[in-house]
Amino acid sequence: MTVKKITKADFTDLIEKVIASQKVYAPQAKGDKYDFAPLTSAGDMKLDYDVTLQPPKKYFIPPVETLLTFEVGGGYQSQFDEEKFVLLGVHPYDMVAINQIDKLFSDGHFDNHYMNRRTNATIIALDVVNASKNVFASEIGTATVKQGYDLLLTDIGDAYIAEAATEKGAALLAGANAADATDDDLAKKQKVQSDNELSLSKHLLKCPASDLPKLLEKAYDHPVWEEQAETCFACGSCNQVCPTCYCFNVQDDVNWDMKTGERKRAWDGCMLDGFTKCAPDHEFRKNRADRFRHRLFRKGKYVPYKLGGEIACVGCGRCVGACLPDIANPVNVYNRLFDDLGNG
Amino acid sequence: MCECCTTKKDIYLPQLATIEKMRLMNDTEMYFRFNMDDGPMDFIPGQFVEVSVAGVGEAPFTISSSPTQKDGIEMVVRRIGNVSKALHNLKTGDKIGIRGPLGEGVYPVEEVKGKDIVFICGGIGLVPQRSFINYVLDNRDDYGHVTILLGTKCHNQRFFQSELEQWTTRDDIHFLETIDEAHDCWNGNVGVVTTLLPKIESELASSEIMVCGPPIMYKFVLMALAEDNVPHDQIYLNLERKMKCGVGKCGHCQINNYYACVDGPVFKYSDLGIAPEAI
Amino acid sequence: MSKPRVAIFDFACCEGCQLQIVNLEEELLNLIDVVDVVEWREAMSEQSHEYDIAIIEGSITREEDAKRLEIIRSRAKILIALGACATMGGVNKLKNNFDLNEVKECVYGDDASMPHLDTAMTKGVDEVVEVDAMIHGCPIDRKEFTYIIRSLLMGKKPEIPEWPVCVECKAKGNPCLWEYDQVCLGPVIRAGCDARCPSNGFRCFGCRGYVDNPNINAAKDVIDKYGLTVEDLKEKMILFGSTKGPTNE
Repeated sequence: MTVKKITKADFTDLIEKVIASQKVYAPQAKGDKYDFAPLTSAGDMKLDYDVTLQPPKKYFIPPVETLLTFEVGGGYQSQFDEEKFVLLGVHPYDMVAINQIDKLFSDGHFDNHYMNRRTNATIIALDVVNASKNVFASEIGTATVKQGYDLLLTDIGDAYIAEAATEKGAALLAGANAADATDDDLAKKQKVQSDNELSLSKHLLKCPASDLPKLLEKAYDHPVWEEQAETCFACGSCNQVCPTCYCFNVQDDVNWDMKTGERKRAWDGCMLDGFTKCAPDHEFRKNRADRFRHRLFRKGKYVPYKLGGEIACVGCGRCVGACLPDIANPVNVYNRLFDDLGNG
Repeated sequence: MCECCTTKKDIYLPQLATIEKMRLMNDTEMYFRFNMDDGPMDFIPGQFVEVSVAGVGEAPFTISSSPTQKDGIEMVVRRIGNVSKALHNLKTGDKIGIRGPLGEGVYPVEEVKGKDIVFICGGIGLVPQRSFINYVLDNRDDYGHVTILLGTKCHNQRFFQSELEQWTTRDDIHFLETIDEAHDCWNGNVGVVTTLLPKIESELASSEIMVCGPPIMYKFVLMALAEDNVPHDQIYLNLERKMKCGVGKCGHCQINNYYACVDGPVFKYSDLGIAPEAI
Repeated sequence: MSKPRVAIFDFACCEGCQLQIVNLEEELLNLIDVVDVVEWREAMSEQSHEYDIAIIEGSITREEDAKRLEIIRSRAKILIALGACATMGGVNKLKNNFDLNEVKECVYGDDASMPHLDTAMTKGVDEVVEVDAMIHGCPIDRKEFTYIIRSLLMGKKPEIPEWPVCVECKAKGNPCLWEYDQVCLGPVIRAGCDARCPSNGFRCFGCRGYVDNPNINAAKDVIDKYGLTVEDLKEKMILFGSTKGPTNE
């Protein structure tokens, strides 16, 4: 596929042109932090951001979305978002997370609400320029990404190297004032990526990530779950900021005519009280410790089982920063288990 | 919309069905028979459907009729949550939304042909088991000795009473019933369902055991079956959870590695060795 | 079918939650399309003793108010507590932290002993009569109010979050205010407000009351970590978190 070199000024011009014809979401400043938001001027995009408060998952699984409309006592009608959009500046770890949810939402029962948005999107991935304070993507193997995007940008200082991986990406790139990338440019890109593969490691995992499912097999009754959950608010912050969390709740609401209405799905979280509650007040994972364990088992064992071994934590570090009592860091828990059980 | 999304059906879209019959079976349980408006639905015993009352919500209910019964699909709804209460308030001829049949973990209708079967049912656990029981009774020659054990909390919570009476009089099955709490109106067995196990006539260790009941029941049934050395690959547990989406996405019904909605709701016990949350 | 008859009553409060209903504007017209409002002092002059749904705003601070509330309860099929004063006593419960005579003297000075100014310990509506639905907040959230009313009209129990404000706050992509030195009560306060205050840079004051299952150990751990004391935290919680009974007895 096409690989081009494009100056930063030319890239800004390109995005300015894209904004005129399509909705663009990109990382922008939010106080002293960053978050993805609709881009109204290319000058507002912050492509040297470290990490965003929310992962870009929200553009494929919105916090609340309408699945269906209905008539009370009558029929149901599917609802789909038709808008095409560009998602710009997705870091590799977030791209890996999107790739994982693609698989989970298309295998077996095909979720066309999710997949429709996914097809409507053009994703411009972006190699990390500045590491965030809690990122550990290098430890998981998600510091770089090879697939899922339409276009991949790598900042080599004075310019971006842009690699189009799909026809959509190539078409977008064709609108830019860009030169073919030279061998020297490609070497610089390679250097950025190989540096990131080592340096996005603010928390060091003591075992290879691929060993986590085996490690967890021995860890079900380990005291760490009770110990950590002792100070867990069960506030679900770790779920809410996670790029690979996708649990949801579904609710009906009627319109004021009391005859028509909408069925909506909204984000949920396995850490929250009531998540497993069945109608007659029976809650299957009532203890916080059981839920704390469930979250880390999902990331390290249960979901990997569905993904052919791929670990379902991508090392973005968002949960580490979002957890007020500072207990959510998966690396700390997995390391503790490795210390106690690793060689057993 | 893209091609792959238009060619695949919306997994969250209910199909309309019409309620053909409703009957209150006791204080809390309502019997329903419904027909899909677009023609009959094929299913296997153990499968469930997500039932919608538009404006109120959606909830899972296991099919209680046997696929051999061609006249509509039956279910039993206990009045507890928003959806079940709304269902109780409907009337014959009303429309409901149905998604299904759902669940890939079903009763082993083929696998256990020719073998002795013991059904252990606790209370409302009779509802899903009844689908397989009636399937076996409609194909009686295909199966060996059939035993049905039923435990109910109070005598006035018993339901499908005329069907239970028929089972009592049939000589090709062995039906035993007990209630937890003694009562003047009840002169049968008293005690929990496991107290019936010593009374069965077939060899437990060589039987295929189907278990369904309230969450608390499983542990005690499994302890009792362990005493008789029943191999774990002959025990089938119907494990119902909060199956919100029914298609393995929403996460509410997860039992360790498994989703009750797609991997179950019927599980072979030997497959659940690494799922401590199951019991 | 006739429309359900609704009556709205106020007790000790600022009437700001009723004002939120008035502020529904166009939606208010939708609301009165599906219900008959038969009594509502703030918006109309008619009165009625016959109603299906009673909406109670305000806390109960006098014996005669408790009696009036009991009569309303006996007439209503469904009773809804509207806003923090009704759901838990609200700001009015601050009073319960002091000696009642001191409170009266502070407020009414020389007139404090006049019989019509007599006052008792503040109670939430559910401390006096049975409540069928709570609409939390100071003031209430209009979106939640309309959702709850529509749910009740559909005959279903509305789903009110059991989880804390952090859930909605994080989903909105807010940074945690604790990082900016604010003692935010979000981790222990019931969600449902769409994290209104933190989204606008203010800490959660706790107007929706505690979640069913708050983790006290976690709160202690966090105040230690941030170099605060239990007293610091209590000071932040007192506005809406005053105890149900008097603290000075």
